[in-house]
This record gives sequence, structure tokens and C-alpha cells, in this order.
Amino acid sequence: MPEITYREAVRDAMVEEMRRDETVFLLGEDIGTYGGAFGVSAGMLAEFGPERVRETPISELGIVGAAAGAAMVGMKPIAEIMFMDFILLALEPLMNQAAKARYMFGGKATVPMVVRMPGGSGTGAAAQHSQSLESILMHIPGIKVVAPSTPYDAKGLLISAIRDRNPVCFVEHKLLYKVKGEVPTGEYTIPLGVADIKHAGTDITVVTSGIMVQKSLAVAQKLSQEGISVEVVDLRTLRPLDTKTIIASVKKTGKLLVVHEAVKTGGWAGEIMAVVSESEAFDHLDAPMRRLAGKDVPIPYNRFLEAAAVPQENDIEAEIRAMVANKY
Amino acid sequence: MPTPFIMPKMDMDQEYVTITNWLKKEGEWINKGEPVIEVETDKIASEIEAPESGILAGILYHANEEAPVTKVVAYILKEGETLESAPSSDQGKTPVAQTPSQDLNQAETSKQDVSATPLAKKVSADLGVPLDQVTPSGSKVTRRDVEAFADNMKEVVTPRVCVPATPAARSLAAQRGVSLEDVVGSGPRGRVQAKDVPMKAAVSEPVAPEPVAATIPLVGKRKRIAERLTASYQSTPHIYLTVEVDMSAAESARKRINQMADKKGQPTVSMTAFLAKIVAWALTRHPKLNASLQTDRIELLEAINIGIATAIDDGLIVPVIHGIDKLGLREISECLGYLTRQARNGALTAAEVAEGTFTISNLGMYGISSFTAIINPPQSAILAVGGLVRKPVVIDENDTIAVRPMMNMTLGADHRVVDGADAAAFLADLVKALEAPEFILY
Repeated sequence: MPEITYREAVRDAMVEEMRRDETVFLLGEDIGTYGGAFGVSAGMLAEFGPERVRETPISELGIVGAAAGAAMVGMKPIAEIMFMDFILLALEPLMNQAAKARYMFGGKATVPMVVRMPGGSGTGAAAQHSQSLESILMHIPGIKVVAPSTPYDAKGLLISAIRDRNPVCFVEHKLLYKVKGEVPTGEYTIPLGVADIKHAGTDITVVTSGIMVQKSLAVAQKLSQEGISVEVVDLRTLRPLDTKTIIASVKKTGKLLVVHEAVKTGGWAGEIMAVVSESEAFDHLDAPMRRLAGKDVPIPYNRFLEAAAVPQENDIEAEIRAMVANKY
Repeated sequence: MPTPFIMPKMDMDQEYVTITNWLKKEGEWINKGEPVIEVETDKIASEIEAPESGILAGILYHANEEAPVTKVVAYILKEGETLESAPSSDQGKTPVAQTPSQDLNQAETSKQDVSATPLAKKVSADLGVPLDQVTPSGSKVTRRDVEAFADNMKEVVTPRVCVPATPAARSLAAQRGVSLEDVVGSGPRGRVQAKDVPMKAAVSEPVAPEPVAATIPLVGKRKRIAERLTASYQSTPHIYLTVEVDMSAAESARKRINQMADKKGQPTVSMTAFLAKIVAWALTRHPKLNASLQTDRIELLEAINIGIATAIDDGLIVPVIHGIDKLGLREISECLGYLTRQARNGALTAAEVAEGTFTISNLGMYGISSFTAIINPPQSAILAVGGLVRKPVVIDENDTIAVRPMMNMTLGADHRVVDGADAAAFLADLVKALEAPEFILY
């Protein structure tokens, strides 16, 4: 199987779907000649032309509004928001229009659109270009939220997202773009709403997503040499949540650590813990459930402070060690 | 007015001290700060100093008597004062606040004379703290004093109603009939962890830990299955009937279904799931094969719950698809996939292996062509399925020979419930439906 980058996997998914289905098109800022701020759509203008790779003015409200409208009349738009932070400008068309249309028109209208957005910190881009806003998106019924952690998942999930009849927010972590992994050529899909056990274990469950999957896996591999058996559950889809997999894993290990980059207060780690607490897995808990999340601060510009603001591998390792040793 | 000599309180939960010795006698002059009484609590021996200078008088509790703390034990008279002017000691607490004394700062002050900052008064009202019981750290009761008192009050007043334990330890203890109070917790602050809960209530020392909570019921279940299979093997009159079935139609039907599933991005359907669906259909037509033998009767069961024997690392487990006759093939396949994963992960729940009414055991993937299986009581039958083997068979009346995927199935049935003809009729229907799956639509 060829090894390609996460960036290429996202592009492959879009290219393959655009070749297969002429209603699929791209819109966003600088996605044509420039190839997108992170180069994800590089070369696509040449293949598909300006009708299907549509450069837009700098208006996120316009981009998502146009995408929602196009989706309602039969197109399958893929909108790119240059930085996830800017989705805040488009919450009205996303949350009040796209998310609601299928419900409010009794299923007569569907909104099969994808809004792709690079999120997360680690590039020295400071507080307005580094956020992880998944939790805000997860709070709205009617939209799905996907956050792949590997090139393989990115391609399979994006194809599923494009074919889904609902608006899907597709969150790509900036630091993952250059990560390489095996990806089959040609079509395959990964169903939305299904988590993936990336590393099986018996001592503790780590539920996580996106970049934190990579970090947690590195820790899990390191600790396995010492006989600490960590199960890493990659949610892949944040909404709808695969509660079954989470519950089964916690029942097996008796301990839960949730790791995400988004700030702790109001973050989705709380939701995961609530799911466990309400389930039969509660009776299997052998320690307090814990969260490791971003500090409650805007992401700093200084690179040392920036790194300190979000969980790093040594933080995850220390937390797992403490939990496995019953320190809490 | 004579100054009351109040016995200070040295511990939050202390009510009495024992006076071991009066160092001064009544009528003697005592100086403020001078030791006057030797006392003993259950923790310490200590000297009590004079709160004021004057003449010691009116001793109420003598050596080797217990004296209540915060109460008057004697009086100190200034020149010209007499005991008659002293308040009666049975009035209880007597004010000292008008003569605040560092030496007596553990004594309490009465309500009307409490010297407290306005903030302390407000906080004490908010927290429900009786201000007259708060010991000032300086000349006045401050907010900090009130809060410290409230914290102490919590610690002392709140009874330890339960032993700290994790939810897993609690459920294990309940399961094993162990009282958590008898368990020494190894967790932080003495919290009982799952591994601390001994296997049986009778065992007094902590038992060797069995750390993975989720596998405990499985071990028990597995053990029971072993015992029951032994009993079944020894006591059930098994009859075995074997058929060979041409699986080409079933295989091509499954292939078409899987092509569709693939396109939709859904998981594919396994042979076992397909077979389970057909077996469920056949069972609806042959209720004796879905029966339970009791001591005095045979119960034909309403629910059809098919158990699928599944190999796992340390043996065999039989997860059950409940109400399988009400499920579509896709649901059966998903359910089976989930159960198999759970089984391999050792994470099946007791409910997921309970209440089977019929069992399928498939060893085809190991290249086994045909085998017999033991009935899992109180079920009345079990189907042992071999692998697909492509081989030449006669396919029509003209003795035409063709290569077909053939499969052996051996039905084991409890002869007390099922007659040979019943078993044969069931198998005949099964073969018919596998060779032409459209029959089950009829």
C-alpha cells in the first residue's frame, strides 16, 4: 500500500469524489491558483476548472451560506474554511440553517455539504488561528463532526462525509497534514459514527481524537514495554458519538482518561465521562475518570507557552502512570 | 464581679478533662499566667494557667474529678470581692470576653459579648456557625476564625457513613457478599479498589488480586458452561444426524448482499450470520428444536435466541443473539460482529451469553469438514457446521456431475425432546432454505 501524507489523503478523497460525482465541487478562499492555505487543493483547479473549484471572497458567512444553499438544491459542496477559528463567522448559516433544514422541512430538504476546517495549535499562529472548537460544533443537533487522526481515516471518512446527506464539519489538525501513512489507492469508505481502537489494552482506556491520537499512541507503545497496557480509542467521529465502543472499553479496563486539545472547561471530555457515568460501565470504574485537555487560556504565540497550553506526550504519559498506579 | 475560671477546651470533640491536681489552694493569691491546675485528657497531660490575677476561690471540681470543658471550675476574686457576687456555676458558660486573655484563648465566649468583626458575623450567619463557639485567634473573631471553625465542624460532625470505594469495588463487593467495612483499601485515602475486594466474605486476609473487573463474571460463566456440558454429555441421550448441503445458492446470495453492503460502506455479512438467519427461520417451523427440557415437562420456547460458539484465546464462549427471528440479516451480522469482538476482548456481559435456546458451532474456518457437538442444556439441540469444500457431486437425475461448494452440518439433538423424524424434518427445511434462500420469504 502506498504511503501518502494526510494532506494528500484529503485531496485524494476530494479528487476521487469529484471525478465520480459531478455535483461535488469546492469553494473557499485561495483554494484555486494558490492551492489553499495548507496546499490541500493544490492542482485541483487545473483538473476541474474554476466552475468546480470556486474561489470566494473573504466571507466565511458567504462561503457556508452558499454551500448550504447549493446543497439544498442538489449539489454536494465541499467548503474550506481557511482556519477553523473563522467558522465562528459562519455559525448562522451552519447552525441555524444547514443544521435545521432537514428537520424543519420534514425531510423534504437535505443539506449534503462538507465544511472542511484546519484546527489546532502548534504552528505559532497565536490565539486567533490555533483553536480547537469541536465542542462548540458538537453541541448542535443536525450536523456531524468528524476529526480524523491518520491519512487512512482522513480519506475514508471524507468520502463518507461527502456522501452523507447531512452537513458534516470535517476538522483537520494542521500538524497532521504532513503525517504519512498507508492509504489504499481507489475508493473505500469508513462509516461515520464508528470509533476505532487504535491500540488495544487492558489497564486503562484513553479516549481521544485527532492529533492527540498520535500522541497517545506514542505513549501507549512506550508504556507497553513496561507492561502497562493502554487502550487507545480514536473516536474519529465526535458527533454522533460511538458510545458503544467507549462503554465496552471502560468496562474492560475500569479506568478512563480523556485527552483532547480543546480547552478543558466545556470541552467534550466532559461529555465522554457523562456517557460512561450514565452507562453500565459506571460499576466497572476503579478510579475517578480524568481529563487531560488544553489549558483554559487563549493559545499563546510564544512557542514554549504554546506547547505548554495543550497536552503533550509527557503529560499524557505522567497522567496514565498516575492513574494506573491508583494515585487519584 | 469575680472572674470565672473556665476550663478551656483543648480538642474539638472534647467534653471533659480530669483534674489531676490543684497547684493552688482556695484563698491563695494567683498571678495571671501562672499554672494553677494540672489536667489530663485522653490524649495529653497539661497545665492550666490563671486567666487573671487574684484570689482563687469557689473551687467546683476537685482533684481526680472530671470537669466539663468551657464551664466554670472556680473563681478569681479581686480585692474586696466575695464569692456571693459570682454568677451561679450551673448557668453554664460564663463570659470572659470582657477580660480577653491570651492564656485562655481556647475558652469560648458567650453570644451577647462576642467580639467579632462585622464580616465574621455575616459569614457566621451564612455558614450557620454559632459565633459564640468560635475561638478568636486574636482580639476579635475574624472571618478566618469562622471559616476554620466551619471546616472543623464539618470534619467532626459529618459521620463517616460509608467506606470510600470505587464503583467497581462496590459492585464486586456486592456480587461477592463482602462488606466493604472489612476491607483494607489500598487506594488513595484508603479507598477500596476492585483488587482489594476478597473473593469470599469468609476470607479474612486480602486475597491474591484478580485485577480485571470485567472478566470476573465471564470466568464464572465459562466455568458453569464447562460443568453443564459435562453434565449434558453424561446425562443427555444425544442423537446425531448429518446432511450435506450445496451452498452455491447461499454463497451467491451472500455475495450479492455483500456487494451492496460494500457500496454502502457497510460491513459485509459472514457465512455464520447468513446461516444463523436461515436456522432462525427453520426453528420457527420446528419448535421442538427450540425447546427446554424441565423435570416434568418440555417447554416450547417463544423467543428464539441463537448462541454462536466462538473460539477465544483461553477456550470457548457462546454469545447469544437474542430474538434473532425478529432481526434482519444486516442486524444479525452487526450483532454477531459486535459479540465476536467482545468475546475476543473478553468483554462480554453475563446477559450477552445468557438465555440461548439453540446453538450453532462452526469450525469450517479450521478446515473441519464434519463434527459432532454437545448440547448446551437446557437447550434441546445444537448444529455443528463444517467448512465449504468444493467437490464433484451429482446434480440432477441424468447423473450430471458438477463441482459445487458442499458443506456438512451435523445436528445433535436431545432424544428425550426430539424424535429422529423431527430432527430430520428440521434439517430438510434447513437444506432446502440454504439451497434456495428465497424459500424463507415464502
